Amino acid sequence: MAAPFRKPLPHFFRPGRDSLDMQLRSLTQFSLARPRLIFALVLLITLAFLAQLPKIQTNTNPKNMLPPTSEVRVWNDSVDRTFALYEDTIVVGIVHPASVLNTATLEKVRDITAGILRIKGVAGRDVSSFTTIDNVTAAGPDLKVAPLVTKIPKNEAELQALRQHLFENPLFVDRIISRDEKTTAIYVPLEKGANGKEAADRIREILAGYQGEEQYYVAGDPVARDTFGAEMFKLMGIFSPIAGMIMFIVIYAMFRSLAPAATMMLVAMVAIIWTMGLGIGLGFPIHIMSSMAPVFLMAIATDSIHIFNEFSFRLRESKDKRTAIIETMAAVSRPVRYTALATAAGFAVLLFMQSVPVKVFGGLIVFGTLVLRLLSFSLIPAILTFVREEKIVQEEIVANRTLQHLGAWGARRPKTAVAISAVMIALALFGMSHIAVNNNMVAWFKPGSEIRNADAVINRALGGTSLGYVVVSTSEPEAIKQPQTLRYIEGLQRHLEQLPVVGKTSSVADYVKRINRVLHDDDPRFDTVPDEADTIAQYLFLFSMSAKPSDLDNVVDYPFQQANVWVQLKSWDAAAMASVIQSMQEYQRAYPANLELRPAGIAYFNFVWNHEVLWDMVKGFVLALAVVLLILIFNFRSLKWALVGYVPLLFTILIIYGAVGFAGKDFDMPISVLSCLSLGMAVDFSIHFISRLRQRLAETGVDAKHDLAALREALVWTAARPGKGIMRNAILFAAAFSVMLFAPLTPYITVGAFIVAMMLFSALFTLLYLPALIVLMRGWLFTTGVTK
Amino acid sequence: MKIFWSALFVLMTAALPLSAADLSGNEIVQRSLETFYYSGGDLRARVNMKLINPQGQVREREMTMLRLNLGQSGDQRYYLYFHAPADVKGTAFLVWKYPGKDSDRWIYIPAVKLVKRIAADDKRSSFVGSDFTYEDVSGRNVEDETHTLLRQEALGGRPVYVVESRPKGVADYARRLSWIDRERWLPLKEEYFDGHNEPLRTFTADKVEQKNDHWTVMLRTMRNLQNGHRTEVVFRDVEYGVGLKQEIFSERYLRDAPAQWVR
Repeated sequence: MAAPFRKPLPHFFRPGRDSLDMQLRSLTQFSLARPRLIFALVLLITLAFLAQLPKIQTNTNPKNMLPPTSEVRVWNDSVDRTFALYEDTIVVGIVHPASVLNTATLEKVRDITAGILRIKGVAGRDVSSFTTIDNVTAAGPDLKVAPLVTKIPKNEAELQALRQHLFENPLFVDRIISRDEKTTAIYVPLEKGANGKEAADRIREILAGYQGEEQYYVAGDPVARDTFGAEMFKLMGIFSPIAGMIMFIVIYAMFRSLAPAATMMLVAMVAIIWTMGLGIGLGFPIHIMSSMAPVFLMAIATDSIHIFNEFSFRLRESKDKRTAIIETMAAVSRPVRYTALATAAGFAVLLFMQSVPVKVFGGLIVFGTLVLRLLSFSLIPAILTFVREEKIVQEEIVANRTLQHLGAWGARRPKTAVAISAVMIALALFGMSHIAVNNNMVAWFKPGSEIRNADAVINRALGGTSLGYVVVSTSEPEAIKQPQTLRYIEGLQRHLEQLPVVGKTSSVADYVKRINRVLHDDDPRFDTVPDEADTIAQYLFLFSMSAKPSDLDNVVDYPFQQANVWVQLKSWDAAAMASVIQSMQEYQRAYPANLELRPAGIAYFNFVWNHEVLWDMVKGFVLALAVVLLILIFNFRSLKWALVGYVPLLFTILIIYGAVGFAGKDFDMPISVLSCLSLGMAVDFSIHFISRLRQRLAETGVDAKHDLAALREALVWTAARPGKGIMRNAILFAAAFSVMLFAPLTPYITVGAFIVAMMLFSALFTLLYLPALIVLMRGWLFTTGVTK
Repeated sequence: MKIFWSALFVLMTAALPLSAADLSGNEIVQRSLETFYYSGGDLRARVNMKLINPQGQVREREMTMLRLNLGQSGDQRYYLYFHAPADVKGTAFLVWKYPGKDSDRWIYIPAVKLVKRIAADDKRSSFVGSDFTYEDVSGRNVEDETHTLLRQEALGGRPVYVVESRPKGVADYARRLSWIDRERWLPLKEEYFDGHNEPLRTFTADKVEQKNDHWTVMLRTMRNLQNGHRTEVVFRDVEYGVGLKQEIFSERYLRDAPAQWVR
């Protein structure tokens, strides 16, 4: 009865017909014959890669997710040059419960500012604070140009005068003083290349020296960015070993033996050293993405648990270790090889992305995955030869009853299973429709963290910590000085300010209006743009004679052909800048003019980065879906089996993204990276399940199309025996990554939760739904060979 | 008489092999300030200023400069009339300089026909957006800094004193090195450093000529080393002792430029 079924599929299961199978088989046999040589080789190569590690360079700046030659970075750099702008500014918020306008607080502001000016990396000449910001005031026939506070006010009259100076000048309100006068700020621009976290740490040291009623907050893009980078490295240093420890303990608990645990950890460590050594040796700096590579490789390494799982059964059956090893490798080589291929393919897709760090990450994981598989067929058998048999597996070898029931339920109630899944998919699709693509670096820190608090406080009180620009370009030099141009800019500012996310805007028009008013004895009626271009030119000339020239350079270019409108945003959401761009375009449509408006700045960068990188990832995800399907087809030599094997994967992904949508979590960078990871890994279980099922059917010679009972039995066997490997793999994985749920940075929590959910779901769906689907579709799946 | 003794002193020192003990840093800087800012009884010059940003873009200012010494007191008057850029033509600037205290400055803004007195910090305020401060244009006082003669050397073929000056009060620099021509007494180079001893600005006298027997810097450059900005200044039609009257340096002439001198 078996023969007719087996005939059409012989090359599938007969080792030796597949050349790669043969090579791996001979590699395994070679490793069993010459284990010491294998150890020596692995040790040598590992040492060679280890020698590369001290050359490590790090690059934690998320800006490098886009290459320096990308359009947005080239444009932003040119805007920075044109308007003599600083790439990075730290904002120090000082809050007093009643008012910062009192002698003691002002003295502190003065001393803190003086301290900050001495910090290396701080662009001292352009630090803005009460004691450094220029104030142009009218005092009778005099035009007074001086820092806002030169002498600390000592009495109520002097404080009142300062209050008046502050609130009559729109350039100060919402910038260095809040409307409720409880908050002031010191703006600390950084020289190019200065480390934001180091500067922020110095500032915090200075602030720690001041006691009193004031609260201090340190915020700004460089702080978030560089702190994130530093934390990330710390976390990787702490979490990778902890994840490793947990995996070790879980494996030990599963097999009640040190040997598998130690072997798997050793293999993982070797693969990590080779991979990181390769990346570092090739001169790639370690970036946010590649810093996650060790943890990912550790996770991928867990696939070798299938070897130990099968080995534990085989050893009991054959009693001879050498035979058991060879039989195990023969049984699992195909699925293990293809799961590795699927994982590698999932990450290889990243090689086609635009972002260099993403490519490097993808390349490294592909390399690491291949190394892991190579070691599975060489180092693992070599180690096994050295371990005494009774040490290898001490657990009681029983196929798991729960898993048997799970598989049996799916096989007996296939329609119920499919109906339930249909409902779940509908719910998931609904949830997915709520997913918003967004990215917010400050939100990478937990609510209640210092950085997030500081950002919230300063954003509530002042104009906003996130800075975007709108560059207004005219067709000819000097045109910015035309009254109609300035009025257009003024109108644009008022239009943008209607957005709730826009806290403050400033431009050259504000300076011109300010000078006009000051020259006319502070008469509010002159708080306007003058009617003549020459008047404007002479005002700006006067301004350049009386203040820091950089103040003017920041808002107008050298030939007076372009103006720069500063837009302070109260949110780091990429969506905030999107609304600014939309509002800008609305204004352009409503008031057509021969002017070009173009967004820029760090907020714009985040917006572009969000769009380009994230959508890049989405494209990559779709591509990976296709590649994984192709690999399944190739593996099973059958489109039908590939489609069936695809179902648990699709199902898992739908459920998780549905949950992401329901939870209101934005689709951000960490999630987008995980999508690609999830594909390559979630499909593993299907490959194992289907390969081993078909192997079993072939071995036992079951006519699956007609003998439902025999098919069910085979399914239950698969769910129980390779299924145990699948479940172990999933639990191991989940256990290791659950550590990340306790990380202080939200992307790590996201990664942890996502992976834990993904592994458990896909294992469950594989064991539950594959039997159901196979039973339902048996007529369609098992057509070949039953023609008789 | 002072000039005579100084001249005699110069003759002597130029003739003799010098040792650093002969002149103090203070004396050298004093002589240099006198030569650089006070030569001749009065001065008229056409001054072209090019403000060049790090991208090489240029803003130009074209002006007539009139300068008058009021006796030996050190009091001075400056009058600056802007010919260009065209949209600021007619803007004029008046400085009454007093040794030992902040100068008085007025500006005339033709578009609104207003004269305003500007109260600003000489030491840190930029002169018309250039890399020169007000103080660089009209001179500082020798007492503002402590001066130490470091060494003597040659600079571009000229014998120079190298003097280190440190401001006594608050300033935007912590230290200044000057290379002062030992024979002509003009500063040929100055370097300013901040508190971290990082270079802030560098002044160079790029072309020195003798005009009416007075050594004069005809081309000078101030480079801001922190932001890459620089300012080049060319003096043309330099005349000393033209007979300027004190009355020119007044609000009346600020509004209505003296046609005899400003052309």
